[in-house]
Order: sequence, then structure tokens, then C-alpha cells
Amino acid sequence: MMDLAVRDIRNDLSRFLLTAAGLGMLMSVVLAMTGIYNGMVVDATVLPDTYGGDLWVVQKGTQGPFAESSRVPALLADRVRAVPGVARTRSYMTLNVQHELEDGETLRFMLAGLSWPDDLGNALPLAQGRALRQPHYELVADRALGLPVGASLRLGRDDYTIVGVTSGMVSSSGDPLVFASVSDALRIQNDLASEALRLERESRVSRVRRSPYGRDPASLARAGSAAPLPVTAPPPVTAILVDVAAGSDVEAVKASLQGWPDISVYTIDEQRELLVRGVIDRARRQIGLFRALLVLISAIVMGLIVYTMTLDKMLSLSLLKLLGAKQRVILRLILEESLLLGVSAYLVALLIGELAFDLFPRRVLVQDMDRLALLGVILGLSIAAGMVGLRKALAANPNEVLAS
Amino acid sequence: MNERVGTSVLRLTGISKVYGEGPTRVDALRPTTFEARAGEVVAIVGPSGSGKSTLLTIIGLINPPTAGSLLINGEPVITDGVAVTNLTTMRRRELGYVFQRSNLIPFLNAEENVRLALEIDGVPAGQARGRARELLESLGLAKRLGALPGKLSGGEQQRVAIARAMIHQPSVVLADEPTAALDSGRGRQVMELFRDSAHAHGAAVLVVTHDHRTLDLVDRVLEMEDGVLSEKQPD
Ligand SMILES: Nc1ncnc2c1ncn2[C@@H]1O[C@H](COP(=O)(O)OP(=O)(O)O)[C@@H](O)[C@H]1O
Ligand SMILES: [Mg+2]
Repeated sequence: MMDLAVRDIRNDLSRFLLTAAGLGMLMSVVLAMTGIYNGMVVDATVLPDTYGGDLWVVQKGTQGPFAESSRVPALLADRVRAVPGVARTRSYMTLNVQHELEDGETLRFMLAGLSWPDDLGNALPLAQGRALRQPHYELVADRALGLPVGASLRLGRDDYTIVGVTSGMVSSSGDPLVFASVSDALRIQNDLASEALRLERESRVSRVRRSPYGRDPASLARAGSAAPLPVTAPPPVTAILVDVAAGSDVEAVKASLQGWPDISVYTIDEQRELLVRGVIDRARRQIGLFRALLVLISAIVMGLIVYTMTLDKMLSLSLLKLLGAKQRVILRLILEESLLLGVSAYLVALLIGELAFDLFPRRVLVQDMDRLALLGVILGLSIAAGMVGLRKALAANPNEVLAS
Repeated sequence: MNERVGTSVLRLTGISKVYGEGPTRVDALRPTTFEARAGEVVAIVGPSGSGKSTLLTIIGLINPPTAGSLLINGEPVITDGVAVTNLTTMRRRELGYVFQRSNLIPFLNAEENVRLALEIDGVPAGQARGRARELLESLGLAKRLGALPGKLSGGEQQRVAIARAMIHQPSVVLADEPTAALDSGRGRQVMELFRDSAHAHGAAVLVVTHDHRTLDLVDRVLEMEDGVLSEKQPD
């Protein structure tokens, strides 16, 4: 039996291709939504994934540092390191920076601190350049920031040089990440002080003035070893990262830290969970819902297209029936056309994805499973739409041929 | 000439058709008894609305009669108004159709339209193509095999339609005003083609026509008047 569907399509190929292209664009949006959804989850966990750390120690009662803001004293790292089973601690801090360039353009990024000298950023996915080599004035920036290796950036009162460029390192809100040593990051935080920070510093100054050592530094020497600790301390960081020694139990270390009155402790998996289920949950659900809506719209559009394609063929269908064609012939004509349309639309969607998704400002991560799932959805839609057309087609009346 | 010629291929007994009921009731076809033999061309004439198309669609098995029986090639198809065999299969194997226009599937070329009548009955594509070409070439359409119906003239379209109606060697070919859209010269050619094909393929051809100038080409003329079919005596 000759292939009627192919011949019908060939007869008005441009119309078929246009329809497939239009449908393909719709499908590419479904694919994009899936990719954005995946990208969002990956982006959200870039920071915990990059830093690692078995346990994250944060301010008591908070779900920091991602879901909530947290501040812990920098010296906490030394106390934690003394706990049995702890191999290494690192200070963690981030800072959102909005930086005006000379040409008036604004750079938005998240500055993240690396614990010099334990962490030079060697684990970062470097695309160009190198990790940090000095404790000061060096940055590793993500490509999304748009600055090359060697570029210099004035942050606060100092000039910093970009020594390395990473790719795909963004914060959960999609801003590029820039890495500096924790001490540089703290200095920049200090120098870029907002009004609030300036007030904080002034109050610190006044605290020092109120303290006996502030008013009379010599009293410190007189008090000798009996002197209480000075009220000035290194500025706080956001969290302390704990690497548990090989052979030690993460849960056990966590349990012993949890007894401390001033901190909360999360495993890295709990941090990821807080991010995905908490920080980006609404955005994630929104995209999921939008995608479901798009699939529904595609289903309706596809059904209408196949129905119209069937309407245009009613005379031919009546003629086929008059000539005594079996139902199978009509079924194949309608379903095959619907499936060919769906598959063509799918290929258009893949092509658009291939060409366009890299140009999106945020990560669009489409995996083979997603492509397969979309193919499944499209085949399902094609068959459903084919059924709509078929209902109409089987109602074709051979008498119609005479009436025309 | 085909060996079937002369055998009875169509027999109607008391076939009638009533459309609607009550005040809208139309007796489109009064009980009709009629027989046609392979190889003969029967013309049906009569005024508009007299029931010619109704008769043809009943024989064509696309319009169920209200009462009566119908045999095709000796096989009972409708008995006392009830179908007693698979009408779709019957249409596919025993009947051929030609109408005034829109006979052809617009997205298939001439050759494919003719092949279709064979392929829907399971004839392999290669064989169907060969037979379709041969027939179309014998009808002077060798150069038009690949043309879509939209690119064919009215006369060419009807010749393709006749080829489509004849290729599967049906017992009965039904033609409802096949020459109405053609000029008289082309109309005459089409009627000649019916006559020749009826003999060559051993089919009975029933042609509804208004064109009295071509009646000399047919074997018998039947007249329809208010649903009553009668043999017209040669004048
Ligand atoms: N589907 C139908 N429903 C109701 N009446 C019909 C239908 N088809 C035909 N008729 C009526 O039956 C009569 C015969 O019609 P038809 O067979 O088409 O005549 P002809 O082909 O000779 O012009 C006419 O009065 C017509 O109005
Ligand atoms: Mg009529």
C-alpha cells in the first residue's frame, strides 16, 4: 500500500514545514523550561558543591548560610578544629557586590571567600588562568562576569587582579561568583561598607572607647595575663566548613558540635536540601507549573492542527471510503501524519535548543533523559491529536463525494 | 473482449427508497426491478430530481434502500433491504465509480490515483504500478502519469477517473453525469471510452446523462420519471 500520509504532506510541503516549525518552537519552550528547571537546581547547589565540607557550622537557630543569613565569629574555626574527628576547618563567607565600572556599567556578582592557605581554589572549574597564589589582591572570577584573566578590578580601596576564570560558577540567584581569600573578602566587605556597616563600625569604635583598654591601652600591659580578651575581634564570617577526618563518623562529629550553645550544624546534604526545597522551591514549582501549562497548550494546539488537517482532507477520506478502503488505511493516514508532524516538531525543538540555549543568560541544562521524555510527550500528544482527527475522519461519508 | 461479457452482473428486485417521513416523505425510488449484463452500457436519463442519483447510490452501496434485494455478480448483497455481506469489501472489489467532478484524490498523481484502487485491495505496489501505467497509456495519458489532478484538464481527469473505476475489473461501473463538466466533443470521447472499456473489462456500466447526443453510443437507455424506471423505446 502506498504511503498516503507522505504523499499528502509532500503535496503541501511548505505548509507542513511551517506548521512543524511553529509547533517545534512551542516544544523548544517546553524543552527550555526543563533546562532552566534543571539549571536552576544545579546553579543553586554550585556553592555547596564547590566548597564541599562534610559539615556546615552556622549561627545558632538559623538555616544559613544560603537559606538565611548567618554570622559566626571567625575564631570559631579554631574551636571547631579542636573537636575530635575534625580534620580541617575553613571559613566561609559570601558578599553580594554591586560594582560600578568607570564606563557606568554595573557589575553584579557574589564574592566568595577562600580559606587561605588551606583552600586556594584549586577545586574550582578553571577555564583559563590559575588558582590563587597569593593571600591578597588576586581574584578568580566566573566567565559570566565578562572580565578576562589579567583584568584588574578596583574594589574598595585596593586593586585586584583576575588570575583565573571559571565557567558555570553562579550563585543561586544566577549572579557570577568571584573568589578571593577570606581576608580580602572581609576587607572588601569592610571597604564597600554600606551605611549600616559604617554604623556598625562606629559602634564598634565607641565600644572600644568605652572599654578600659580602649581609653588607656597601657592598662592592658599592666593587667598582664589576667587581662580579659580584647573586645575587638576579627570580623565575623558566614559559616565554618568542617572536613571530618577519614575514618571518623560525620554524624558523631555533628552530634558533638550540636551540643554547643552558639551554633547550628548541618551536613552538606542538608544544605543542598535547604537550597532546593527552600531557597529555590517557589521558583522551581513556578517553572514546573509553567511547563505543565505549556504541554497542555501544545496538546490543544496539536489537536487543533491535526483536526484542521483532517478537515482539509474530508473529500479524499470520503473518496477512500467510497472506493472501499479499510479503516486501517484511514487510521494510518491520519495517525502517520500526526506522528510525522510531532517528530518534525521535535527535531525543530532539538535544533532550536542546540542553537539557542547557550545564549540564555542563565544555565539551561538539557539532559538526554529530558530529550527522551520530550519525545515521549510529543509522541503521546501526536497519538492523542491523531485520535481527534480520526474521530472526524471515520465519520467521513462516501455520499459527500457526490454532494460536492 | 472480456470472457464475462453477456453474463448477468447486477440484479435489482423491488428496490425502493423513501427519504424522510410524514409530511416530508419523498418516494425517491419506487420499487424497481432491473438487470444489467457484463459489457453493456446502460444510460439513465430523466429530469432533475427524478431519482437517478438515488438509484446509483443504492447500487453503489453507499445509500441503503428502504426495501428490495440486490445481487452483484450473482452474490446476494442486500436481501429485503438488509445488507447480507460486507459492503466495504463489495465496493472495493465489484464496483467502480465516476462522478461529475472531484473523483480524484488531490494529493495523488494520475498514476497513484489509479494504483490506489488496486492497492487498497492488497495488490503489491509494483504490480499495481505496472497495470496502472499500462491502462493510462492505453487511454492516451502516457505523458500525464505524474501530474496531480489539479494540473489535468477536465477531460483528462475523467479519463483518469474511468481508469481508476475500471482497473480492478469490477462487475459494475457507476457514472453519475460524468460528462456534465465537459464540452460535447470531450463528452462524446468519454462515452466512447465507457463503451470500449465495458467490453474490454467485462463490466456493466450505468451512466446517468443529460446529453442525448451521445445516446447512440450506449446499448440501452432507461428513463427515470418520479422514481419510476422504465425502458425507453428507441425513437
Ligand atoms: N438525502 C436525501 N434526503 C432527502 N431527500 C432526498 C435526498 N436525496 C435526494 N432526495 C430527494 O429525492 C429525490 C430524487 O433525488 P435524486 O436521486 O438526487 O434525483 P436526480 O439525481 O434524478 O436529480 C428528489 O426529490 C430529492 O429532493
Ligand atoms: Mg443527480
